[in-house]
Amino acid sequence: MKEIDELVIPGDARYAESHEWARLEGEDVRIGINDYAQDQLGDIVFVELPEVGDTLEKGEEFGTVESVKAVSELYMPLGGEIVAINVDLEDTPEMVNQEPYEGGWMILVRPSDQDDWDDLMTKKTYLDFLKGE
Amino acid sequence: MYDSVKTTPLHEWHGKVGANMAVFGGYDMPLWYPTGAKQEHMAVLTGAGIFDTSHMASVTIDGPGSFDLLQGCFTKDLSSCIGKNKTPIEDGRCVYGIFLNRDGTTIDDAIVYRMGETSYMIIVNAGMGGEIADHLKAHTGNLEAKITDLTDRLGKIDVQGPLAARILQGIIKKSDDVFQKMPYFSFKGHFDASSPLSETVRLTNDTPLLLSRTGYTGEFGFELFMDASHLTSTWEMILDAGSDFGITPCGLAARDSLRAGAVLPLSHQDIGHWPFLSNPWLFALPYNEERSGFTKKFLGDEALRTAEDIEYTYPFAGYDLRKVSTQESACVFDSQGKEIGEVLTCATDMAIGRVGEKIVSIASPDKPQGFRPRGLSCGFIKVQSKLFSGDIVEIRDSRRSIKVVVVDDIRPDRTARRPLNDMVWKREEDI
Repeated sequence: MKEIDELVIPGDARYAESHEWARLEGEDVRIGINDYAQDQLGDIVFVELPEVGDTLEKGEEFGTVESVKAVSELYMPLGGEIVAINVDLEDTPEMVNQEPYEGGWMILVRPSDQDDWDDLMTKKTYLDFLKGE
Repeated sequence: MYDSVKTTPLHEWHGKVGANMAVFGGYDMPLWYPTGAKQEHMAVLTGAGIFDTSHMASVTIDGPGSFDLLQGCFTKDLSSCIGKNKTPIEDGRCVYGIFLNRDGTTIDDAIVYRMGETSYMIIVNAGMGGEIADHLKAHTGNLEAKITDLTDRLGKIDVQGPLAARILQGIIKKSDDVFQKMPYFSFKGHFDASSPLSETVRLTNDTPLLLSRTGYTGEFGFELFMDASHLTSTWEMILDAGSDFGITPCGLAARDSLRAGAVLPLSHQDIGHWPFLSNPWLFALPYNEERSGFTKKFLGDEALRTAEDIEYTYPFAGYDLRKVSTQESACVFDSQGKEIGEVLTCATDMAIGRVGEKIVSIASPDKPQGFRPRGLSCGFIKVQSKLFSGDIVEIRDSRRSIKVVVVDDIRPDRTARRPLNDMVWKREEDI
């Protein structure tokens, strides 16, 4: 298990309490689970994602991630329409463990409300949140 | 309750190498190491894995009444339990059985070792040493038997996988003698240096071991018992000797997926507070040849004979790797959609996959070329109605519903019973 100071938490992303990361890409936001989440879950063997075109609200479940230990829900860090999903995860779910912020991304969302982004935690507030957890 | 969580002497080692820990049976134990549970599971099928299982408890019984006490409290008939001909237990042999309550429900499962004519060791699950010792004391009556709970006084290491003997050969004295005539469910040596038996199996640094050809993975291997003070040095010695063989430290997640695929029950989950009947582990009961009755009297026998409304426990296998979660409750539905029971265990055996309908393992000699399985969900269901191998049922948790099939066996081509002679290095002149 990684100590908090060993976690990779990029400063250019924002974070949700349920340990998803979100990164602005033009108008869209790319989303995945962060290093803390993948380390806690262990080997990820299966990822279930929504359909492109689905519109989901902030906090709504967008899929599940299955590790050897358990099946866990994935939650929308912000509301919006799914404009792309990472189809590579079907064959290589281990990418979520290996590079959670790069090849292990999960969905690309067109946000419906800019305020959602502002509600997400910065690296600093997220790390403080983790220390308190 | 944090104060009451126990640790094994290897706790610091597990932390140092970055294991992901969780409390199991009252002990803070590794779930997996940075290698990951999948690779750990695979290593036990293709190479060797090493497990710290010092959380398990041990109880000894000594004295002329030991045999009769066990005959009365343990389901296995010790006077007829070894081999096809059902000969009596003898020194150096161990057997699997159950400690039942009078109502036929399970207290715990156990392996009983005969150390001598009036001397036995019982290995039970984590945290169960005190309860089993008390249970035995309560049933000792006029028998002359001294019961000792050795909880936390022994270290235990499981070395499992086809390379297990080859690794241990390098660090055990007179290993040519040790690694012969050692069938499945037999043992040699003793962890107590004051026992004459302890001369038989010694590490090259002179640590006395009880070396048992048993395990909880379905694969070839050994369980090693030593004084708790020797646990860490023995662990490091095995890791060192096994490094050339790719020995892999394994946590409880791999232990669980390996045992589920091998159709082995987890006590208090797959067997428990219901009568020990109609399950895949009835070989633990002392049935006579006609299966019309038992060959001995034991605690719980009457309840098992007269039980009504029994439930049936079956192994199942899925069609892909998806699991249901049993943390809340997961239910079983028959083909008509009627709820018929509950899921006891659901794990993913990551070393198996389907070729057509047939389950194939990465260790199967007849696997197709380039076979790279994604894993299959598997485990046990307990249902109210009788089912048959091949019956399809649906298992459902709050999240998903998956189709699984009732099976007789799960992971094929397991190595646990392979002849020892095939699993050791032979001296040069023998090759």
